[in-house]
Amino acid sequence: MSISQLLSEFGSQYAEALFTTWKLTALSFSLAFVIGVAVTVMRVSPVRPLRIAGEIYVQIFRNIPGAALLILLVYAFPYLNIVWSYFTCVLIAASLIPAAFCSEYLMAGINTIPVGQIEAARSIGMTFVQTISKVVIPQSLRSSVLPLTNLLVATMLTTALASQVPLKPRDLTGLVAHINTHAVGGVTAFFISAMLYCGTAVVIGQVGNLIDKRVRILR
Amino acid sequence: MRNMEPDQNGAEVPVIELRHVEKHYGDLHVLKDINLRVGKGEVVVIIGPSGSGKSTLCRTINRMETIDAGEILIEGVPLPVEGRELAQLRAQVGMVFQSFNLFSHRTILDNVTLGPTDVLHVPKKEAREEAMRLLARVGVESQAHKVPAQLSGGQQQRVAIARSLAMHPKAILFDEPTSALDPEMIGEVLSVMTELAGEGMTMLVVTHEMNFARRVADRVIFMDAGSIVEENTPDAFFSHPKSQRAKDFLDSIQNH
Ligand SMILES: Nc1ncnc2c1ncn2[C@@H]1O[C@H](COP(=O)(O)OP(=O)(O)OP(=O)(O)O)[C@@H](O)[C@H]1O
Ligand SMILES: [Mg+2]
Repeated sequence: MSISQLLSEFGSQYAEALFTTWKLTALSFSLAFVIGVAVTVMRVSPVRPLRIAGEIYVQIFRNIPGAALLILLVYAFPYLNIVWSYFTCVLIAASLIPAAFCSEYLMAGINTIPVGQIEAARSIGMTFVQTISKVVIPQSLRSSVLPLTNLLVATMLTTALASQVPLKPRDLTGLVAHINTHAVGGVTAFFISAMLYCGTAVVIGQVGNLIDKRVRILR
Repeated sequence: MRNMEPDQNGAEVPVIELRHVEKHYGDLHVLKDINLRVGKGEVVVIIGPSGSGKSTLCRTINRMETIDAGEILIEGVPLPVEGRELAQLRAQVGMVFQSFNLFSHRTILDNVTLGPTDVLHVPKKEAREEAMRLLARVGVESQAHKVPAQLSGGQQQRVAIARSLAMHPKAILFDEPTSALDPEMIGEVLSVMTELAGEGMTMLVVTHEMNFARRVADRVIFMDAGSIVEENTPDAFFSHPKSQRAKDFLDSIQNH
């Protein structure tokens, strides 16, 4: 089938799939970000068990394949009487893994903060929580905009995991699989999805650059 | 400048008091039986060779470093060990560092208001007004809306002093505040410090600026290898150092 034939037959499904991919991406990344910040705070905390737990989190989720995690959530967790919707399973898999990378980027950002600034914060009486929330995390975030932008794109690509489960409405990759089992979309069906992923990634990249220029810290 | 307030028994309560303080870094004995009292409004200058423990001494006073033995008291109250009480104590003892250490992601004004608003819970508007007054006092009010990297070293250090003052500290510790500055900027920072001393601020200053010590200090403390070797008025210390180590040290810095 040609692009125009595919679009006239599946156009509205592509639109729906694009929206599903965006929604999964936005939700996964937001979750990944919150978890990533929390794990990072644990990793720099003065409480040793928290530091260890944070490190373990990163080691596990940085090194586990997304598909393996998804299979675990969908097929193994029901044996523990934990049954989540396919959407929730995809969301969890596509946020726990990027959260580990998010924490790695934030740690790299933290390492650029001069120790003296943290001492200065303590010396004016800031508590650990204040030092973290007013000095450490803000500076770390502002110096990790570009890696986090890349992580957002990577998170979007990770949501293609959704094609491995019968998710409805389908995501972009799931739709390609569906088209190819019901019609002869071939490479063209994939091409359309790929262009939609690419277009989204380009926009994300541009916005990321703009934000980075605005918030980058002069040293 | 010296003006100690008597307590109920008529005795003077020093703002800062160290009793038999000991500290080790592993095998290195960095502070050896340190006894020191700094009275209200007093300016005490600490000098001594590199590695003698001057910075460590400063940092133990607001517990940036722990001590192994002895006691440190602020206005007669022992330093809290940790937690919120310790943070509150730190808010009462200012610290100015060699490397300024302004928060590089915030404006000059924010640098000065952050402590008052977040630690002392002063209303924002009030904190800003006072910050502008303090910035004017140290001569950098026109820079209030810039970020630290846009200021010269001398200006940054004056902001750091304003940031300390905004907390209304009982004393300020200065650890080589001019050592990272180009020569032409040293004067502007020292003159702010001289004014502070004149207004009765209690100050403990580690410095190699001997002229400042001569003019402003009430007392000079000479440290070597972790001990206080000599303690005297600036005049007596600089013209008649008692110990050989102090003589050697003064010779070595005068030959520069
Ligand atoms: N965190 C640390 N761990 C181990 N040793 C340290 C530490 N900080 C300082 N020291 C050592 O303790 C000794 C005293 O250091 P300190 O910084 O107090 O000296 P100083 O008198 O301030 O010297 P300078 O004039 O060079 O600033 C030095 O030998 C130093 O190497
Ligand atoms: Mg030092």
